Amino acid sequence: MLTASPRNMAIALAAAAAFVIVAALVASGLGAASERVLSVFFISLIAVVGIGIYSGNSGVLSFGHLSFMAVGAYVSALLTLPAAMKAATLPKLPAWLAATELGLFPAILVAIVVTCAFALVVGLAVGRLDGSAATIATLGLLIITHGVIIGWRDVTRGSGTFFGVPRETSLWVAAGWCLAALVVARLYRDSVSGLRLRASRENAIAAGAVGVDMKRERLISWILSAAVMAVSGALIAHFLGAFSPKKFYFVDTFQLLAMLIVGGMTTVTGAVTGAVTITVVTEVLRRFESGFDIGAFTVPQVFGTTQIGIALIILFAMFRKAEGLAGLKEWEERVFARRGAKKTAAALPAVSDESALTAEHMTMRFGGLTAVNDVSVTLRPGEIVGLIGPNGSGKTTLLNMLSGVLEPTEGTSRLGETTLDGLPTHRIAELGIARTFQNIRLFPSLTVEQNVLVAGLSTGGGKDARARADAALARLGVAGHADKDAGTFSYGDQRRIEIARALACRPKLLFLDEPAAGMNREETDALMETLRGLTRELGIGILLVDHDLKLINSLCDRILVLNEGRLIASGAPAEIRRDPAVIEAYLGTSQTQDDPAEPGHQPTEENDP
Amino acid sequence: MKRLALTTALATLGMMSPALAETLKVGVATAQTGGLATYDAPVIEGVHIAVDEINEAGGIGGTMLIELLEKDVRSDAAQTAIAVQELVDEGVSVLVLPCDADPSLAAMGIVSGAMIPAISTCASSPTLPMVGGEYMFANFPGDNVQATVSAEWAWEQGMKTGYILYSPDTQYTTLPLYFAEVFDALGGEMLGQDTYSIGQQDFSAIVTRIASLDPQPDVIMTSAYEPDFPSFLNALRAAGVTSQVIGSDGIDSPTTFSLGAPAEGLVFTTAGYAAEGSPLAAFNAKYEEVTGAPSQTVFNAVGYDLVKVIEAATEAAGSTDPQAIRDALANLEGVQGATSVITYKGTDGMPVREVSMIRVKEGERELVGQPSPTAELIPAPRMQ
Repeated sequence: MLTASPRNMAIALAAAAAFVIVAALVASGLGAASERVLSVFFISLIAVVGIGIYSGNSGVLSFGHLSFMAVGAYVSALLTLPAAMKAATLPKLPAWLAATELGLFPAILVAIVVTCAFALVVGLAVGRLDGSAATIATLGLLIITHGVIIGWRDVTRGSGTFFGVPRETSLWVAAGWCLAALVVARLYRDSVSGLRLRASRENAIAAGAVGVDMKRERLISWILSAAVMAVSGALIAHFLGAFSPKKFYFVDTFQLLAMLIVGGMTTVTGAVTGAVTITVVTEVLRRFESGFDIGAFTVPQVFGTTQIGIALIILFAMFRKAEGLAGLKEWEERVFARRGAKKTAAALPAVSDESALTAEHMTMRFGGLTAVNDVSVTLRPGEIVGLIGPNGSGKTTLLNMLSGVLEPTEGTSRLGETTLDGLPTHRIAELGIARTFQNIRLFPSLTVEQNVLVAGLSTGGGKDARARADAALARLGVAGHADKDAGTFSYGDQRRIEIARALACRPKLLFLDEPAAGMNREETDALMETLRGLTRELGIGILLVDHDLKLINSLCDRILVLNEGRLIASGAPAEIRRDPAVIEAYLGTSQTQDDPAEPGHQPTEENDP
Repeated sequence: MKRLALTTALATLGMMSPALAETLKVGVATAQTGGLATYDAPVIEGVHIAVDEINEAGGIGGTMLIELLEKDVRSDAAQTAIAVQELVDEGVSVLVLPCDADPSLAAMGIVSGAMIPAISTCASSPTLPMVGGEYMFANFPGDNVQATVSAEWAWEQGMKTGYILYSPDTQYTTLPLYFAEVFDALGGEMLGQDTYSIGQQDFSAIVTRIASLDPQPDVIMTSAYEPDFPSFLNALRAAGVTSQVIGSDGIDSPTTFSLGAPAEGLVFTTAGYAAEGSPLAAFNAKYEEVTGAPSQTVFNAVGYDLVKVIEAATEAAGSTDPQAIRDALANLEGVQGATSVITYKGTDGMPVREVSMIRVKEGERELVGQPSPTAELIPAPRMQ
């Protein structure tokens, strides 16, 4: 299923096809040398796009993708190598392989399958790591694969040249596969999996909270990108006819990554831009480096000009266009507006299940600090419960435990009869607990619509996802923002978008961490109305953390008060206002005249662990 | 300026006598940057010296000037294929390819299709011309040739039993297998062989095995180089093995001469030796005169050799027709280069060249001899 508009996607794919076909036609008109330049360009572009499918969408830079290219090259070459050549150069091959002699196309298909199997095994391991650890692991993959290829002499000829491969990669073969790679990459980016993965790239914690299983999406893109790399490897093998393990090592890794980074990692447009830019600059500069005449002057031959030129482009890109020349959007996303005014959204379904969240003895220790100490709470659908307390009293920590972001040191929680202990955030979201974050965790470079849509797609089996997303946007009054990037809005709007995103998960229970922070009085009042509507009309239970005690007092059915990690009071707002322990916690005295639950109290941003 | 001078010279010649205006276009697609530049860059320096020398003397046979069309392939196989295609399109008669088998073989499809002879600057694997086909030529003593020279020398010195140490990691480090083949053919007896991994450094197990042999081998041959070779040699001598050790050009480095007692008497083969009055000494003098600095590597002279070969082949062919030049090249005999007399006749494209044998004597270089190997003894290249 596609998450982008079909019209835009059709334009993008048609443009890709036109680009490849026109380029190939022009090159074939210009002669054999141009055909070769373009063939190499196409093969490189396949690899760049392949790396982009994983690194661009997941945000994890991979140095290891040339391993997949190597596997694709060796597997396909072993299959197409003439049997007589195999007998002469690789006498120790198993008999079935020695006798096999396939054409390029079936060999590529087999290479894809083998590479995907390899990628699956590696991906299960690499997928356990995150951030720079994952990047370093991919570097390890490159080195290990290189070592294995060199060591497996009976099959690979070791570090020696693997020669005799039929040179079957013609310009049009390369063009066809290049187009296929562009289509696959573009479709994946706007597929459900691609959108989820991009959301996790923008903010992993928030993605988990709206039901995205990041590890699974990463594995999918990892395997898909490996398949594309295998094609690139098979094509370069059958273009050169002779290659060795060093073709798939650091030098080429950096060359391809340079293209991807210069162009922009996150888009297919970026991959194409980078590959075109670097290829064009290389082709222009290398014509100058053999020396030329300007009038009476002779510019001498200076080899290395090409590398200097490419280095300068990379520097320029890093200084002036850190996100790459193409930025964060596909070209057609910039040029063509998305779908027009929203259809009147269907209503969100009301909560039918009355199971309550029950948490007992929740305790969280960070080293010697006990952030939350033996707190038990319940939350039922249809009620609004306030959670207040001074800065550092453990409110956000408690929310994080209940939503699976933190695993409690002690304590147990369940929703109805389902235990939540040890469940990852995306499973908890699926069970019906959605949340927002104190420090706003939107997916800033995705549109508002995509922000909300990804939540709909990742919960409840993605059923009615778009209707749910539209309804959630409408309910929070941000439907008009749908086509703009979420990161461009004011604080108040961002908070509303975040609530809409949580709503799209069709939650039974909603945790809101300071939803009114950064809003003015009118906005806060409007928000109160919205929240009341959620409980009255939809029957959602809300656990609300805020420092705006007017908001808390007027909205909440019950209030829980935390101080220094302990639950010091709980009850109706009126009782809480009179509770001496609460007054002392807030004011540090036992005087009773002052009402702690007055507005304007503690406007500072809290930063609980 | 060189180019300007050449252009002027061409123009002048053209005006004076149109009949003499024919030039030989030589396409040079070599690695001037990247990993292979270490080898290709000095070779191309030598190429320039030779081409200028020939053109200043009026050209090949006094009439035909050489024009170099140069491309940097950045040590990349795909770029080599592209550059070679461009050079073929420009109508070159001869091609010069990088020092490594990968890029050379990647270009061979185009070269064979266009039927233009191509010479690798300094690749030494004897399988290269075999795989590359009839248009591929090498310009360096083949591994099998070096091994033949050292095996013949050992046999002539009265050594009857041998032992080899090789690594299957690269083509080059399997050179001792050629040695064993020749030594065997001469009537010698191989007492055994061992393999190592490049970078292994710990040779105690292997050395113990050799030390326990009774009788001890007369000669131990290896093509290991740094850091393996010094470790091996030190361990061997420490274990009390006194057999003659023979190495190959990979150990022609200052390290070998600084090893002290263990290296004393060590013999190895290499591409050239600048004896007084030799062509190599003359070339080195010329190099210093042209560039203002002494030649640092024998690869400069190897580049000079390359052009002398092209000159001789073109002269013999009598035209710039690539096919005629290829046929002439394949039948060249006794071309005097800077490092050696060079012969292609009767080979598969791998030249027969003198190989210099050097002995380490008191930490100095001593020439043992520069024998040409017996052609019949040179083993056929191994494909794996």
